Amino acid sequence: MTDTETLTADIETKGVSKESNGGETTNYKRKAFFSNVLKYAKSIFFACVGLFLCGGLWEWLSSYTEGDLPTPAATFTVFFEMLSDPFYDYGPNDKGIGLQLGSSIGRVLLGFSIGSVIAIPIGILMGASNIGKQIFYPIVQLLKPVSPLAWFPIGLVVFKDSDMATIFIIFITSLWSTLINTAFGVGSIPQDHKNVAKAFGFSKMRYLRKILIPYALPHIITGLRLSIGVAWLVIVAGEMLSGGAGIGFFVWDSWNALSLERVISAILIIGIVGLLFDKLFTLIENKVSYKA
Amino acid sequence: MSYLEIKNLEISFPTPKGKYIAVRDINLSIEKGEIISIIGHSGCGKSTIMNAIAGMNTPTGGSVELMGKTIKGPGPDRGIVFQNYSLLPWMSVYQNIYQAVDAVMDCSKKEKQEIVLQNLEMVNLMQHKDKLPGQLSGGMKQRVAIARAFAINPGVLLLDEPFGALDALTKGTMQLELLKLWNLSGRDKTIIMITHDIEEAIFLSDRIVVMNDGPAATIKEIEHVHLARPRNKIEIVKTPEYIELRDRLLHLLTDKFSIEDMGMVYKK
Ligand SMILES: Nc1ncnc2c1ncn2[C@@H]1O[C@H](COP(=O)(O)OP(=O)(O)OP(=O)(O)O)[C@@H](O)[C@H]1O
Ligand SMILES: [Mg+2]
Repeated sequence: MTDTETLTADIETKGVSKESNGGETTNYKRKAFFSNVLKYAKSIFFACVGLFLCGGLWEWLSSYTEGDLPTPAATFTVFFEMLSDPFYDYGPNDKGIGLQLGSSIGRVLLGFSIGSVIAIPIGILMGASNIGKQIFYPIVQLLKPVSPLAWFPIGLVVFKDSDMATIFIIFITSLWSTLINTAFGVGSIPQDHKNVAKAFGFSKMRYLRKILIPYALPHIITGLRLSIGVAWLVIVAGEMLSGGAGIGFFVWDSWNALSLERVISAILIIGIVGLLFDKLFTLIENKVSYKA
Repeated sequence: MSYLEIKNLEISFPTPKGKYIAVRDINLSIEKGEIISIIGHSGCGKSTIMNAIAGMNTPTGGSVELMGKTIKGPGPDRGIVFQNYSLLPWMSVYQNIYQAVDAVMDCSKKEKQEIVLQNLEMVNLMQHKDKLPGQLSGGMKQRVAIARAFAINPGVLLLDEPFGALDALTKGTMQLELLKLWNLSGRDKTIIMITHDIEEAIFLSDRIVVMNDGPAATIKEIEHVHLARPRNKIEIVKTPEYIELRDRLLHLLTDKFSIEDMGMVYKK
């Protein structure tokens, strides 16, 4: 990591300093560009190798089960069919994949947002004060290992509504990683930074805004990234329980209709959305992290 | 009663092996407007004493009094340059200074911005004001820390090896800037600095405090510098007072090592 960083930094400075004698600069830049292209080409190539192996295994499994497991070709036909008309709506039990996906994402975002809004301040409290830690940490330790699905009945009792109960389990799911990472980030603020606040008499507010939050932010975003990842895992199972609409319900419904092509297509779509969530938060993570 | 009074100061730290006494029996009276250097071997407790004056740590014995009042914590009357600069890595050079000024000073936003720019000018970092600390060299970081301490215009400046990471040329300039600032204040600011550089100590100070080695380090000797101000760096080195003082300081700091070195030679 550090090696490549110094390398690129080196390239940049050399590029700048040699701006005057133009020929060499372009040469240098071209070399850097080509080495980058080569790097990407290589990683794409290896990713293709992996996918190819997976496809081969799938093909073999399909012939081994004598067609009970649909072939990749048959699956992709259905997959593209599903994508060609994602937003059709023929009543409550027959909706396009886009609508199903939309309602799942909506639930996840709602539960996740409420969870985060509660988890971040409590995490800050846990990280910043010993008493806060002593109050909340045992609760977190006790409840974190519980499968969020176990909360579903409680959600049903409290909200008397299966949709709300699903959002409730997403809310619970979204708490733990955010809590723990926020608390860790805030708890690990170096003494040096605290000394600055102390020496220059920073108010509580200034300390929070200018030291605590900027320092802890990368950790908080990591927590959010992990949280939304688990939330996306849980929503599928949650919607299988709750029924109605959503990608989880879609999987269950397709299984009941014995359309494994649709199940596998849904798995791919779930994977892609999860990957996109992860990438989005990784992007934010990189944005807010600083070089010490 | 002096301006700054250190009385029987003892500072110990709790460690797994029990109490570690870093410094003890420190007695030092400092007048307003004095420049004091503290010199001593690494780890003897210089920063520890400095932090006690800054109010960053609490004495386990004795006291530090500023204008008759016991120091209980940090305050805007003392500006500190930490040994490790302590800049906030997510803020620009400008913001690092501005946040300190904004927290301490009681004036309009425009005046605060003016103060920051003036101090950036002083340490010659104007072109670098929008960089992050991670993009600066060690010496540049040190200058930011110096500008930040100066910007809040404190009565007492506490400088922990402020010029340690600077090259000889920049160091010379910064020393002159420090003296300029001191003169501008009507020689009213009290400056306490830690240094490892004997020549720097003589050039700048009224008195030089030489420390014993730790643990439980004490003051070994306090040397007065009688050279008249303004001092010319090139001229003073030729004076007999300078040469005598430098030899004495060298002796105080190195006698232990030279004896050991001789021992090594004889054993061969
Ligand atoms: N927080 C602490 N906990 C335990 N021991 C400490 C602590 N701070 C300092 N010490 C010890 O006190 C002694 C003096 O440390 P100090 O930092 O004051 O040295 P120094 O004279 O400034 O050295 P240097 O010239 O290397 O900066 C050292 O032995 C150090 O290990
Ligand atoms: Mg020190």
